[in-house]
Amino acid sequence: MAETPKKHLLKSPRSSKHQAKSTPKPSSPSPSPLAPVTPQTQTLTPRRSSRLNSPFFDPPVSIEEPKETPRSGKKTSRTSDPNTPRDSAEKLPKLKRKDKEDSVKADVSSFSPASPEQLESKRKRKRQEESKVVTRAKSAVSVPKRRVYYKKVVYDGGEFDVGDDVYVKRREDASSDDEVQEIEECRVCFKAGKSVMIECDDCLGGFHLKCLKPPLKVVPEGDWVCGFCEARKSGKEVEFPVPPEGKKLARTMRERLLSSDLWAARIESIWKEVDGIYWCRVRWYMIPEETAAGRQSHNLRRELYRTNDFADIEMESVLRHCYVMIPKEYAKANYGDDVFLCEYEYDIHWHSFKRLAEIDNGEEDGEEDDDSDEDWKLGKDSNSDTDEDIEYDDENLKSLPTKQSSAHELAANSRKGQFFGLQKIGTKKIPEHVRCHKQTELERAKATLLLASLPKSPPCRNKEMEEINAFIKGAICDDQCLGRCLYIHGVPGTGKTMSVLAVMRNLRSEVDAGSIRPYCFVEINGLKLASPENIYRVIYEALSGHRVSWKKALHLLNERFSDGEKVGKQDDRPCILLIDELDLLVTRNQSVLYNILDWPTRPNSKLIVIGIANTMDLPEKLLPRIASRMGMQRLCFGPYNYQQLQEIISSRLKGIDAFEKQAIEFASRKVAAISGDARRALEICRRAAEIKDYHIKRLKSAPKSVCSGKSLVGMADVEAAIQEMFQAPHIQVMKSFSKLSKIFLTAMVHELYKTGMGETTFEKLALTVSCLCTSNGEAFPGYDTLLKVGCKLGECRILVCEPGSKHRLQKLQLNFPSDDVSFALKDSKEVPWLAKYL
Amino acid sequence: MGRENTVEEALNLLRSRLCNPSFVFKPLSDSPDSNYSKLKFIISSSVTEACNNSILLLGPRGSGKIAVLELVLKDLLLEFPDLISVIKLSGLLHSDDNCAFKEISRQLCAEHQLLFSKMASFDDNSQFMIAMLRECGLAHKTIIFVLDEFDLFAQGKQRVLYSLLDAMQSVTSQAVVIGVSCRLDADQLLEKRVRSRFSHRKLLFLPPSKEDLQRLLEHILSLPLDSTISHDYAVEFNAKLQNILADEKFKQIIITYMDSDATVNHLLRFLFRAVSYMDLGSGFLSLENFKTALSNIQRQPKLECIKDCSILELHILVCMKRLEVKGQSSYNFNSVMKEYKSIRASFQMSEYYAWNVCLRAFEHLLQRELICFTDNRGQNQSVEFRPAKLLISSHELQQGLKSYRSCPAILLKLMDREV
Repeated sequence: MAETPKKHLLKSPRSSKHQAKSTPKPSSPSPSPLAPVTPQTQTLTPRRSSRLNSPFFDPPVSIEEPKETPRSGKKTSRTSDPNTPRDSAEKLPKLKRKDKEDSVKADVSSFSPASPEQLESKRKRKRQEESKVVTRAKSAVSVPKRRVYYKKVVYDGGEFDVGDDVYVKRREDASSDDEVQEIEECRVCFKAGKSVMIECDDCLGGFHLKCLKPPLKVVPEGDWVCGFCEARKSGKEVEFPVPPEGKKLARTMRERLLSSDLWAARIESIWKEVDGIYWCRVRWYMIPEETAAGRQSHNLRRELYRTNDFADIEMESVLRHCYVMIPKEYAKANYGDDVFLCEYEYDIHWHSFKRLAEIDNGEEDGEEDDDSDEDWKLGKDSNSDTDEDIEYDDENLKSLPTKQSSAHELAANSRKGQFFGLQKIGTKKIPEHVRCHKQTELERAKATLLLASLPKSPPCRNKEMEEINAFIKGAICDDQCLGRCLYIHGVPGTGKTMSVLAVMRNLRSEVDAGSIRPYCFVEINGLKLASPENIYRVIYEALSGHRVSWKKALHLLNERFSDGEKVGKQDDRPCILLIDELDLLVTRNQSVLYNILDWPTRPNSKLIVIGIANTMDLPEKLLPRIASRMGMQRLCFGPYNYQQLQEIISSRLKGIDAFEKQAIEFASRKVAAISGDARRALEICRRAAEIKDYHIKRLKSAPKSVCSGKSLVGMADVEAAIQEMFQAPHIQVMKSFSKLSKIFLTAMVHELYKTGMGETTFEKLALTVSCLCTSNGEAFPGYDTLLKVGCKLGECRILVCEPGSKHRLQKLQLNFPSDDVSFALKDSKEVPWLAKYL
Repeated sequence: MGRENTVEEALNLLRSRLCNPSFVFKPLSDSPDSNYSKLKFIISSSVTEACNNSILLLGPRGSGKIAVLELVLKDLLLEFPDLISVIKLSGLLHSDDNCAFKEISRQLCAEHQLLFSKMASFDDNSQFMIAMLRECGLAHKTIIFVLDEFDLFAQGKQRVLYSLLDAMQSVTSQAVVIGVSCRLDADQLLEKRVRSRFSHRKLLFLPPSKEDLQRLLEHILSLPLDSTISHDYAVEFNAKLQNILADEKFKQIIITYMDSDATVNHLLRFLFRAVSYMDLGSGFLSLENFKTALSNIQRQPKLECIKDCSILELHILVCMKRLEVKGQSSYNFNSVMKEYKSIRASFQMSEYYAWNVCLRAFEHLLQRELICFTDNRGQNQSVEFRPAKLLISSHELQQGLKSYRSCPAILLKLMDREV
């Protein structure tokens, strides 16, 4: 694509192609072999001649102008020359796009009786046709008088996919005189040449290594700033080398984009209009200068923002590819000059920024690539969306602005399919600390140890995952698709849900690759349902997209699964139902569980149920008819042992030098001995890293900044974290209690030893306290004070006691072993005599 | 005149300080080992490093958990303006799942100027919360959930906690859950699947040490030299205060007072009283103020109740006590009256009270909570047949009788001896 003949592009109009295409179309429904192929022949027909039938556009500037004038005064700015200040210039073309959009719709309606809205709703259907079309011949006109959607077109020598990023011409007339240059020239010698060039990270200028003073041999690691920029930064007047006489200073596309003479956009969909013109719907990118916040100090030179601004443009104005990437890819990117970085989405209505959601997924991928399963990655990279998904997003996004324009605001939390007003959320400015902060090793360790950063496939669970995989595949791949049921159990934090989800992801990539047939997957968490019955509603909504009451949903689901009545087109797909925290669905008559587990046994139900819960014997606790349906196939996730925990932790910490090896082992041994809960182990390590980090930062802030050498998390930190997590704090609290509380507790223990009974009443206790006090020369505080002290202890649950209004009859009991009390109070300095009674 | 105004102003200043927890806890927060700096580090690192955390603040009531938290939040809101939104829930109000989700949605809506619907269902609200968590995470905003009386959220199915903590397991969310509880075993109350998701940072709030206490007293009670209060007066006031603080007797008073409860809040209550006793004429605090405050604040309510009883009521109490000594564990009004009559007969007491007068006295004692019914059963039974119990111990009764202004000698005798 890099070879796109740009000069042709600008000098010779491309419209010839349209003619070539449009002529056969109206009559023949047969695929025209010529259609999306780049026209190799360059006829000299005037540009846009094919569109003479739409009077709006004809001579690009001259006629549009009178069209605008009757509109609001704002648009007058359009007519201003291309040198207007940027913000007005920025608005100008957008309006133009809108015009175009309008006109397109008008065009459409003139051709087909359907109104534009209907067209939109029909899109889904068409989209599917389109995908067929593409696979068949890459180009076809299936039915005349209708838009035809494409996934990929070859246009003007470039191949454009949906989802590609492209440069878009800003003005019809602008910069046609400007020479567009393919290869960047060196800033010093003004020749392109083949030798290695280095890019300045500040001004983005290219330099030949040999042209630099002093010349460089190799490209240095890290950031590099050219001599000019350095000089300018230090306040000197800099003279850039002047280009040789007669040679125009040519600008690359990238430069023109960054000086907002061009646009970049992402193609969301491509279609051929009824009149044969190729259109695409694009999502604009913005350069930082165009946002309300302006260029922020942390913006990189090649940074763009994705906007939520869409427009339909002609393919004609698309120049060629550029590559807008998320930071992770950007770091690795090696595409030359047309690479840009995009991390945030910019909301043009609210002028706010938001991180791109995909980035996080991307990051996840990146982190786990070491485990290497290629097929999954493949599935993800191919933009991970089936046609329907794109379609859905598309409609979603479209519906947003329309909703906004409708005057009445909707409540945000009552969900009619979607939440209203979430687009309002966003930062007005991207906080600096997010971008500029360079993570230390410890902070990176903390980030990877987060529970949230899930690995793609949980380590040490290969056997279980294989089993799940075999189960699901066995169920799906049968021709019959018999319904089945799997019960997975294990203590919390042993990777049950994660394993199932990992298996599902793998399967999905297999579906994408076409090796198994599609299925639908519904994931439900029992604890997130308001009531067990609601599960019907949730399942039905997930399957059909409609929200009905649970009774209705039950009825419909029964129809679907038991009676085999298929309603929609997707209903013949097998359905995999994952129910997390299955035990929460147990109702008094257990009908919910019975229904759900009964469906798979019906013929033609094509339902596969995977239930997850903690208890091993859940089926046995249930009615026999449920147990017999659920208990057939079980899978146990045992607690992790210490080697496994160690592997989990170290696989996350791979490449980060933050932990001592023994420290990890210590933490994993400790957790394995207690619960075998991976979450716990990760949290301990994270907490240990946090403690270390806290100490280091404290040392740094202290005036004398010594001993910064070792920053590895050691045994001591892990010990502290374990202490905090596992040790109940009562001993510490008892040690710091007031004197009377201590005496009170001592009396409790004394009483316990004397009577051998755990429970005592306040009256007896008060007697003991007064004995203790008188024999040791303390003043007896009085019953009421003592009662108050007792109630305070009860509040902290050091004691378990009845309410204080029972006074003399109040029953008291120690909530902790008496040994703990003895240990805590034995060497209290305040009241040394307590030791006698403990 | 001017002098009086100054004193008035100083007094107001001291009182407003004592009622302002963030002023009180300020000096305790600067050391690196304090809960303030630890908590601030955890929260601010989760703001800057975009991670999720859950913290428990544990400690006896009145030890300043919420006060320190408020201080931290106030500072962080200054440090990261509009990057933090705080959602506050209290276990006493929102322990019900439905209600908690509604309140979370309401506060989230209010925070982001969205329209809130009261009609939204449980599902809607919980999904809205999850969607908001995600959106805020994407916009680098941290949501801080403060759950006061955390132990009360740990009742029932713990749906709120589970949903919150489970939503925090996704990369996009950025939230901190801070549980505040006076129950030391609060984390043991969590169901195991919830506990596994909880990240178990615990901060323990302990009563101040002796040195801290001294610093705190000085911090609260000394007047600022650079305010509207006249300089000379402030200097003199502070000098007198130093004398008092250094006084051994004063230290003894504080120690006696703090013996029963060592928390900061408890101390503040005492100081407020002492400051209120300040003599407006002289305009300075004196040791006497603290002494009066101590004697006023250490009261024995049950003993005072006995002092207010009538002779008849005392008789009833003594009769009940005698019945107990005789080993009769269960008795009602009728059996008490029988005992009373036998005493009267054997000691030939002159006074006579009608049956219904005695019943009134009995009811009065019930209201005073000097006696109570043994159980709640038999609500429909009339008072005289329901078994009752004495709520004060015999020691207290004896003490009460001794301090009674004109206690009949016979009663004391009846108390002492088994007649």
